[in-house]
Formats: sequence, structure tokens, C-alpha cells
Amino acid sequence: MTGLLLALALAAGDPCAPLPPLAGAPDPAAAGAYRKVADEERRAGAIETAALAYREALARDPSDQASRLALDALCRERGAAAPFQRGLEEMEAGDLGAAARSFEDARAAGAGASAALLEGVCRYELGEDDQARERLREAREDPTHHEAADLYLGFLALREGDGDAAALAFDAAGHDPRLSTLAAPLSRLARRTGRLVLAALVASGWDSNAQLAPSGTPIDTSNDGQLDAAASALYRPLGESGPFLSGRGLFHQQLRFGDLDSWGLAGAAGWQLRRGRRALWAEYGYEYRTLGGSPFLSAHGLRAAGWAPAGPFTLSASYFVRFESYQGTLYQPFSGTYQGGEPSASALLSPRMRLLLGYRLSRDGVGLPQLSFVEHGPHARLGIDVPPRARLFVEAGVSWRGYDALDPQLALTRSDTYLDGAVALEWDLSARTFLRASIEARRAWSNAAAFTYFRLAPTVGLGWVAGL
Amino acid sequence: MTVFLLALDLLLATPGQPGMEEHLAAGARAFREGRYESALVEFRVAQALGATDAAGYAAASLVKLGRAEEAVEAFAVAHESSDDALLGYYRAIACYDARLYLCGDRLLGEVGERAGPRIAEQARKTRAAIASELSREPSRASVDWYLARCAERRADGRPVLAGAYCDEAVALAGKRGDRYRLAEAAAQRAALPAASGPR
Repeated sequence: MTGLLLALALAAGDPCAPLPPLAGAPDPAAAGAYRKVADEERRAGAIETAALAYREALARDPSDQASRLALDALCRERGAAAPFQRGLEEMEAGDLGAAARSFEDARAAGAGASAALLEGVCRYELGEDDQARERLREAREDPTHHEAADLYLGFLALREGDGDAAALAFDAAGHDPRLSTLAAPLSRLARRTGRLVLAALVASGWDSNAQLAPSGTPIDTSNDGQLDAAASALYRPLGESGPFLSGRGLFHQQLRFGDLDSWGLAGAAGWQLRRGRRALWAEYGYEYRTLGGSPFLSAHGLRAAGWAPAGPFTLSASYFVRFESYQGTLYQPFSGTYQGGEPSASALLSPRMRLLLGYRLSRDGVGLPQLSFVEHGPHARLGIDVPPRARLFVEAGVSWRGYDALDPQLALTRSDTYLDGAVALEWDLSARTFLRASIEARRAWSNAAAFTYFRLAPTVGLGWVAGL
Repeated sequence: MTVFLLALDLLLATPGQPGMEEHLAAGARAFREGRYESALVEFRVAQALGATDAAGYAAASLVKLGRAEEAVEAFAVAHESSDDALLGYYRAIACYDARLYLCGDRLLGEVGERAGPRIAEQARKTRAAIASELSREPSRASVDWYLARCAERRADGRPVLAGAYCDEAVALAGKRGDRYRLAEAAAQRAALPAASGPR
């Protein structure tokens, strides 16, 4: 009985279901009125409404051959549209593989550019880039889908590290006013990426407590101005998925405390495997630093990370291990193995706002147990796009550090708590240059009074990034 | 929606060609039940039988069916009563969905509180969204897009839509400091039929 009721209910809403027998006398005039509406709807491309109107015409005059022929033709077209509808439902449910296959069926049945566009989007999300490109180019031929296809062709070019092609595609997508807000920042991003990405930042600022002097110290004994310069290069010959080489250099000069001046060089080689919104990468790197004009640190190690979507979230995990060798009598006891990791989850709170929550755990194992520690704690990062050309980042975290053993000099086993906060605003001056203003703050509490301090460091800098 | 159906009840009380009332009633019933294809068919049949006011309801059904451009055209030829704020709201949404944001904003401004508190609140939210989109100087690409759409619709033989897109291009170009393509947009607009009023 339930099945029969369900069949009747479905038939009631389906213009292609068999017609019930005519209850009274035929009414050709009424049928003609419905047929006229049906013809107009059919010309407008509204298959569903046209089929419904032809059915109404036939319900009033079963001998209306024009309506019967038209309804039969529409129902055949409608059969071709069924896989498209199924694809939409599968896409909505997040089953992108099934949705891509349904849209492929819909294309085979003649569903056209809309099916090609949606199949392209699904294949892009699945990381099937070649098929995605083919479908998106097909969809692009239809003026209705031109800009949407360009947007996803831009994403594909970004993934391949072709910044110029991505920028052109995003610019073209931005011609649609509904996509322009999204496309403009993507275009700027594309101009800053490529198979070779070069970046530089020059910044100056003030540090309220450059020497991390204990609280209670008069502020002018430890505050200082500073100048920083950094440059980096990233080479990815195959785009986002494949091998990469990176290098960076930095220069840091204090205005007063010359013993804190430093410069450093670092390089790494690694591989990133990326498929759709999933990625894994690992690298081996080396770093060298000086401090106060003397060799300070030589370190090498491994880093690895991965991320994958899970519903509305992106889940990530990372790990690093670094074998550190500090130079000089003062710092040599800090040599050892430093390692850590972090699981995190991020989600879009709105189209322009992303929140990341993570928990960090690290271990510094050195020769002296009183200098070895475990540190852990949560942190949060909020990134906000501020139209038309700014980004705001707000970060906060708390961590607890516990040392392994009694420090004979301090006569206690040191235990610290850190509260960190940072705000940074980046303002794009041009496609490749930006201004950066930031404030970082740290409050440290320790059971050893000498390690309790507060530090506030505002900086202003000018950055440049170019993708080649 | 109550106001909409009340207006329809009043329509049903007016004299007209036999059969017209039953199609209007069937359309209203289908609209209320969310069967917008059926509602459109019934309102269109009623319109063909002489119910001129059915055009506005058919246009509202088109909005519900996501056929925004057709709805803009249908509203342009509809002769709905001047105090039907709910149809005014649907007309504004048709403009908004067709990316005719300035048209949508103007019509939403006229809806005010007359359509009831729920619709008025929706109108306020939509106007706020439009204001946010239009708070910056329009890009050249936006002006280009509306002019291109105007030309496409004129070539398709849809002068009402072409005029609406050209109106938008003129207004957006006028918001730019350099008046980018303003004269061209105005000339294209002048070559099209004059825009009908919101009612």
C-alpha cells in the first residue's frame, strides 16, 4: 500500500507519468490555452514547466496530438537530464567521484556546458587535473559559464605553478561582477606564485625588551630598535606537486645591543605530493646562523606535513626534527635534538575569514637535563581578507614548558608559562609589493624570577613577492 | 505570502472571462504549496484568458523558479496594482538575481515596511548586502561586463533586459572618477526603449 501511495505521489509530480483517464468531456479550448503556454515555455528552454503544461493540455483533450508529440519529445530530453540532477545531489552530499561520473553521463546524454562545468569542478577537487581542464575548456565555450570556467582554470594553473596563466584566468573571471570580489585577490596571489617564487622583506621596529630582561628591570635598559632584511627563493619545477628547492637569508641588526646582531642562511630540498585538497610534503634542510659576529648555530633536520579535508574542516598534522649544534662555550650546552609536531584544524567562518586551531608539542633534548624541556600548548590563528587589498592576521597562544631536572645554579627545576599574541596587517601596494605592520607580544612567567618577562615588538616593513 | 494570497483572493472576486478565476486559484494554491512550475502555468493560462493582473504573479513564480531575467521582463509588462508591495519585493529580487543590483536596491527601497515586517527585514538585509558590494568604486571590468550583457541581450531581441543592463552600466560608470565608458553606455541606452517604472 505504501508503495502504491508513493508511486501515486511521484506520478502526481511527474509530467511524464501515464495520464489518468479523462473524467468528463474533452475541452479543446482549455487544452489549447495550456498548449500555448507550453509552447512558450518550451521556446524559453523550461523543459519541466513546458512538460507540465502539455500534460495539462492532454488531461483536458487526450486527442491533442501536438501536445502528445511535444510531451513525448520533452520526456525523452528529460531522461537525458536525470543524470545531471543525480550529479547535483551527489555533489551536494560531497560524493564528488560519483557526481563527476553522473555529470559525465549527463554530457553523454547531451546535457551540455552546465554538466561539463560541474564535472570540471568535481574533477578539479578530486585532483584529476587533465580531465578537469578538458571539461572546463568545454564549458568555457558557453558564454553563460565563461567566467566560472575561467575561475577554475585559474585554480588549475595555480596548482601547476603557472602564475601568469592563473592571473590571466582570474582577471577574465573577474569580468563577472559576482566573481570579481573573489577573483581580484586571487589574481594578486597568482602574480606572486610560479615555478620560481622570489620574496624579500625589509622591516624596522622597536622591541621593548630585546634582551628578555626580567620583569621589574627599567624598560630603557633593554629596549632597542632594530632593522631586519630577509630574502627567500622557492623553486618548484613541476608546480605544487613535485620536488622543490628553497633557500633563504636573513640579516638582523640591533641599534644598541650589537651582541644580538645576526645573519643566517638556510636551504632545503623536498617533495610535495598533492591531489585535490589533500597534500603531503617532506623536506631535508640545513641552517647556519651567527650571533654578535660569531658562529652561533649549525642545524640540519627533517620536516614533514600533510593536510586533508574533512567536511567543512581542513585537518593538518606536521612534524620536525632538528639536530642542533651551538657554537661557543656559552651556547654549546644547548646543542642537541629539537623536535616537535602539531595537529590542527581550520575552517572558513565566512568567505573572508578562516580560523585555525592547533596544539603544539615540542621536545628539546640536550646534553644537560636541566636544559632539556617539553613544551606544549594550544594556539589559534584568524585570517581575515579585508577588501579591496588587505589581509589581517590575529594569533594567540599559550604554552607550558617544563624542564627535566633540577638546575643547580637556580636551585629549582624550572617551569615556565608563555602567553603570546600577535596582530599583523598586510596592505597590497601593487601586484607584487605590500606594506606589513605587526605587533607581537609575549608574557612569560617562570618559577625562576630571572625568566619572567614581558616583551612588546611593533614593526613596519615593505615586502616584495614575485612568481616567475 | 499572506498578502500575496489576500491580493489574489480580491482578484478572484473581480469579474472576468469564465475559467480565468479557477486558473488564478489553482496558481495561487500551487504557489502556496511551493509547486512553482504549476503556479506559473496556471497564472500564464489565466493571463491568456484575460486576467491582466496574473502577469505579476507569473513573474513572481519565475523568480521562485530562478528564472530571474525572464522575471525582470515579465514584471516590466505586468500591470500589478500600485500598492502591492510584495510583488514589488519579488521584482526587486528578480533584479538582484539578474545581477541588476542598482535596480534591486532602488526597488527594495520602495518596498519599505508595506510588505510586512518579515519581508521588510529581508529587504533591509539584501540592501545591506548590495551596499557592501557597491561601497567601492566599480571596476572597469564591471562596466565592461554590463555593457557586454546589454549588447548580448539586444542582439537576442530582448530590449527590456538590454535596457536594464545598460542602465546599470550607465550608473556604475557614473560612480567612477574617470567616468569610464559612460558616454558609450548612455548612447547605447538611448538607442533602446525607455525603461518602465518600478510599477
